[in-house]
Amino acid sequence: MAIKGLGTINYEERTKDTDYKKRLNKVMTEREAVETFLHDGDSFCIGGFVMWRQPESVMREIARQGKKNLSLIDESGTFEGIDLLVELGILDRIDTAYAITRQVGGISGTPALERGLKEGLPRPVEAGGVLATPKDKVKSDMPPLKIVDWTNFQVALRFVAGAFNIPFMPCRSSIGSDIPKYNKEIKEINDPYENKPLILIPAYKPDVAFISVQRADRRGNGQIWGFKGTDYWKARAAKYVVLLTEELVPTEKIYENPGLTVIPAYCTDAVVHLPFNCHPTGCFGCYTVDSINFISLLLQRQSREGALKWLDEWVYGCKNHFEYCDKLGWEKLDRLAKSEHKLNRIPG
Amino acid sequence: MGHLYTTREKYAPEQLEEMRKKYTSPELVCCAGSREIIDREVVFVGIGISDLAGAVAKLVHTPNVILVAEAGYIGFPSVAVLISPADNAAGTMAMCHQSLPEVFIDQQSGFIDVAYLGFAQMDKSGNVNVSYITGKQLKMNGSGGGGDIASSAGRVVYTVEFNPRQWVKKIDYMTEPGFLDGSRDARKKANLVGGGPSAVATNRGVFRFDPETHELYLAEVFPWQDEEDIEEVRKSFPWDLKVAEELKIMEPPTERELWALRLMDSTSNYILASVIDRPIGKIILAGKLNLEGYDEYLGLQEKALREILEFVS
Repeated sequence: MAIKGLGTINYEERTKDTDYKKRLNKVMTEREAVETFLHDGDSFCIGGFVMWRQPESVMREIARQGKKNLSLIDESGTFEGIDLLVELGILDRIDTAYAITRQVGGISGTPALERGLKEGLPRPVEAGGVLATPKDKVKSDMPPLKIVDWTNFQVALRFVAGAFNIPFMPCRSSIGSDIPKYNKEIKEINDPYENKPLILIPAYKPDVAFISVQRADRRGNGQIWGFKGTDYWKARAAKYVVLLTEELVPTEKIYENPGLTVIPAYCTDAVVHLPFNCHPTGCFGCYTVDSINFISLLLQRQSREGALKWLDEWVYGCKNHFEYCDKLGWEKLDRLAKSEHKLNRIPG
Repeated sequence: MGHLYTTREKYAPEQLEEMRKKYTSPELVCCAGSREIIDREVVFVGIGISDLAGAVAKLVHTPNVILVAEAGYIGFPSVAVLISPADNAAGTMAMCHQSLPEVFIDQQSGFIDVAYLGFAQMDKSGNVNVSYITGKQLKMNGSGGGGDIASSAGRVVYTVEFNPRQWVKKIDYMTEPGFLDGSRDARKKANLVGGGPSAVATNRGVFRFDPETHELYLAEVFPWQDEEDIEEVRKSFPWDLKVAEELKIMEPPTERELWALRLMDSTSNYILASVIDRPIGKIILAGKLNLEGYDEYLGLQEKALREILEFVS
């Protein structure tokens, strides 16, 4: 028996404005996605792990849109992308295990953070309750950028707890060290069953998770090849999930390898089809790390003037990621892809 | 563990003098570190020198170890030195592609036998700081998974280039728990899973921890390290460093170990400390940011990877 009126309901229309997760077609441009989901004062996280499968184009888009007062949580991010936002004073707080003034062969891996710590520019830095910009160096009246120290496992457990929808996860990492001593959000208890020390890691539910995947369909099923990082936990913990995909495929293609779908459609709010979105980091099976670009941009950004010039050229000088790729040269990106394909390849 | 010993008498004085200059510090650290593993162990590798040591062990000494990188790669044939624990080379021919929390969960369950780590500061009881250096220097770095690994891996082998500044009475900030206050069951009381640090491999000898007092002592030296050299090493410590009664003399790096090292670090990212000395630095400084530069650098990488893949398959 036909149900009266069912044919006239346009479900696509009905769910259009209110519930992104229920849409059948979630494809958006990167600009739209950042505008729609990330607002001033929000917290966000990015997928991937040091130098690999990290949506760097999103960092440039956030800078382009001039967002303010964001906080970022990441276990070990590409310091380059985070440093870009630090340079602009966009971040209020970073929760991380490793993204700090690292040295890359004698040059600073995060020049902006280092300037912040030593010279108070663009804003002072206060790290882990241990280090802070010396008072006589603080020039601006902007509140300091707060850095909170965790370990990788602890940051990952924050997402796991967030995804479990419980307030904390217990673990046995770093008991007795200074990380739980200075990080007041970590609680040390004697567990009620065995009466032994244990530390509790609070849950975290970021507002937005930007996650790069190799393959996704329009409805938002994301497939990942290679290491998974903490990505599928991030996708379950975050309020909004934006997938940036190297390849947009019909759902039939997803059916071929369902085991690789680590982010099912019900997690996803938007799908952005953006090849090479991880550049200058790499993407397993798609393209390798652009070390030449990475080192040369670090060299350029060692001084504040150089960094601002770099921003003018590569962030504000390009309207979107495709203009960035045009500027860089597609033949170079192609070369990076060729190099990766000699080692790893996503089956067609 | 700790095989490949020799005697000083085996070498003539001129030979020793020649050997002292022959090897670079990272080479010595990696080779000494690579000898710390037992075959079939599960080995957690970090990046840079600590990964190189694991790679040399896998290629030369202990072919059946399972290498694990924290981003989620397990059981890879150490295809190249890793720039990041998420490196594609670790994914190539890996037994398992996992996620990061799972690797650490496995570690907390006790599956990881030994891990390689580096450090910036260490105290008498093997507690380590890699994050915050206070005072005039004002440095930060972040421990990444170091705190987790030092807490839970069966044992930890630290691989670092010797630097007198790294030994301190009290570390500025503890990221990696060693034997904590040094008391006999400090780690057990703290409910830490792993056994704590077992060795510190440097270019000026291998240090170990006293099983009773958990105090760091000098256990092994290279053949060219004479009394004078050992005294100099001892003076770098702010406490009275003990030296093993039966100080062992290590073999210098073998041909095979050096071959493995060069094969792995084909672009000299870790053997050369400064970026401007490395092939990539030279390409960038020559202004070759065009396709030609990319061809040159990536070609170099690919050639080395081809050689390694041929060897391991």
